Amino acid sequence: MSRVGEIVESSTKGFVARSPRIGQSPSFGCFVRTDSKPVVYGLVYEIITESRDPGRKPDPYGKSMEELKREQPEIFELLKTEFRSLTIAYSEKENIRFSLPPIPPHIHYFVYECTREEVELLSSEDFFLRTIISSPNVPVDDLIISSLRHAQDARQFDKDYLVRMGKSLARFFKDDYERLSSVLRRLV
Amino acid sequence: MIEEKKGLEEHSLEKISLSLSELKLRSKKWEELSQKVKLSKTSWLLAGVLGPLDNTYFLPIRPQTCTVIASDGSQIFPNRHEALPCYLINIGSAVLHYGEEGKAKLNSYPKFFYKDEDRLVIWDGRRIPADSSVISERRALMEFQELLRLADENKNLGNTVAICDGTLIFWRLEGTPSDFKNEIIQPFISVMDRLKDLRIPIAGYISFPGSTDVINTLRVGLCPEEVSYCNRCPYTDLPELPCSPIEGVTDRMLFSRVLSKPGERSSVFQSSSKILDLYGDHKIYFFYLNIGEEIARVEIPKWVANDKELLDLTHTVIFDQARKGSGYPVALSEAHEQAVVKSRDRDFFFDLIREGLVRSDFRVTVSRKGLSKRIPRI
Repeated sequence: MSRVGEIVESSTKGFVARSPRIGQSPSFGCFVRTDSKPVVYGLVYEIITESRDPGRKPDPYGKSMEELKREQPEIFELLKTEFRSLTIAYSEKENIRFSLPPIPPHIHYFVYECTREEVELLSSEDFFLRTIISSPNVPVDDLIISSLRHAQDARQFDKDYLVRMGKSLARFFKDDYERLSSVLRRLV
Repeated sequence: MIEEKKGLEEHSLEKISLSLSELKLRSKKWEELSQKVKLSKTSWLLAGVLGPLDNTYFLPIRPQTCTVIASDGSQIFPNRHEALPCYLINIGSAVLHYGEEGKAKLNSYPKFFYKDEDRLVIWDGRRIPADSSVISERRALMEFQELLRLADENKNLGNTVAICDGTLIFWRLEGTPSDFKNEIIQPFISVMDRLKDLRIPIAGYISFPGSTDVINTLRVGLCPEEVSYCNRCPYTDLPELPCSPIEGVTDRMLFSRVLSKPGERSSVFQSSSKILDLYGDHKIYFFYLNIGEEIARVEIPKWVANDKELLDLTHTVIFDQARKGSGYPVALSEAHEQAVVKSRDRDFFFDLIREGLVRSDFRVTVSRKGLSKRIPRI
């Protein structure tokens, strides 16, 4: 299991984690977990690289990445990459519960990418899609598409899975046919 | 007012042109001027002349791989209106490696001073509370010691240059008693000894310098006396002294005419500050450098000035640093960023101390002035 970040901001509905390296983070829509108790599972919905100091702004140098690393190495010390994660479930006594945790993970706990088995388990039902749809401030449709791709990758040969999830989406979107068709077209 | 300013500007341009022609004239017979400077007794600092004054040197090629170490400091001075007479010195540092393995290390080390030996200073045999000038000198020493620590850490890298913000000359110590002078100078000399052993050149970078050492030397050249002795100047009855026509010009103004291309540096001159008598082998020399945006003054110890390899390395690395930092060495600005203590930090610092004291059941007394600043009334 690879460690992908350390929590620097935490709330019931989600957390922000700092990546160990600039520009590296779990990809958008990726399933992640914490090593806190309870273990909290989430979906990465935003990745930000910016200045560490709010008073300083990055400036364009007109150099390639190699040149910058060779000749302006300090700038990489002054940047940070963080990712935001939307909480979709937590574990309690070996069971996964698809609701918000009683207590959010503490700051400084580590974040890991979920294993294939964990992704399969977390995405076996459509609860995570419902969480996404009901969350304000997340790019809902794109997060649905990306998380479903990750879920599908984890199961490899399950052709019926997408059909099942597509039916769920049809239910969630009710009569918004345009939106449903846009999501489905972009998914396959 | 603007008309007046215009007039002054024109007058000053004339003076600069005059000093430039004087520089060229004296360069031809620099040995003569050098000798006169050595014998003269003036009230100003004179630049020791070691060769033609108007020589310029092209920018050497910077080695592909090099390392720059820099430090800078800031402090929270003791405040007698606060609960405890303590202070804090924060030393920021930057180590920048350039080349294939480019990387950077930025750090800061705050140090808290509260014990008697920190708060008091031995001044002419007596122990007196350390004031802001004492703390500033201690801070400057700590900056040099931090440079040495970084130099030791990076001693195997080669092509390493240490730079600090401002002068290498502790000229403020000149009027202080010898016990305090020694407290600062002795450890500083040890730092210089070690850097010399490591062959890591150290340079003090002065942006927009106001110094007039070279101009003063040219004024000695203008003095009709065989040996200038300002205290016995025989020309004080004249409407204008023979050395006055270039008075008011700074070295920076002069060298902005001499150093035409970015990257060019001037000849190396020797500083004549009195305090340098205590520097032993590390007498300070300096040169001016056209960094494009301005003319900077770079101070170096004698062993750097006399070693062409180290001098060239310092020249090229400092220019490159200034280029990268849009006119100010990037390693210095990063070290400064690490060091800076904002007023918010200062308030937080004293809040912490008060809290700590209260928690330990100490009676906390702050002055009424201190209190009134904290709780302003309408």
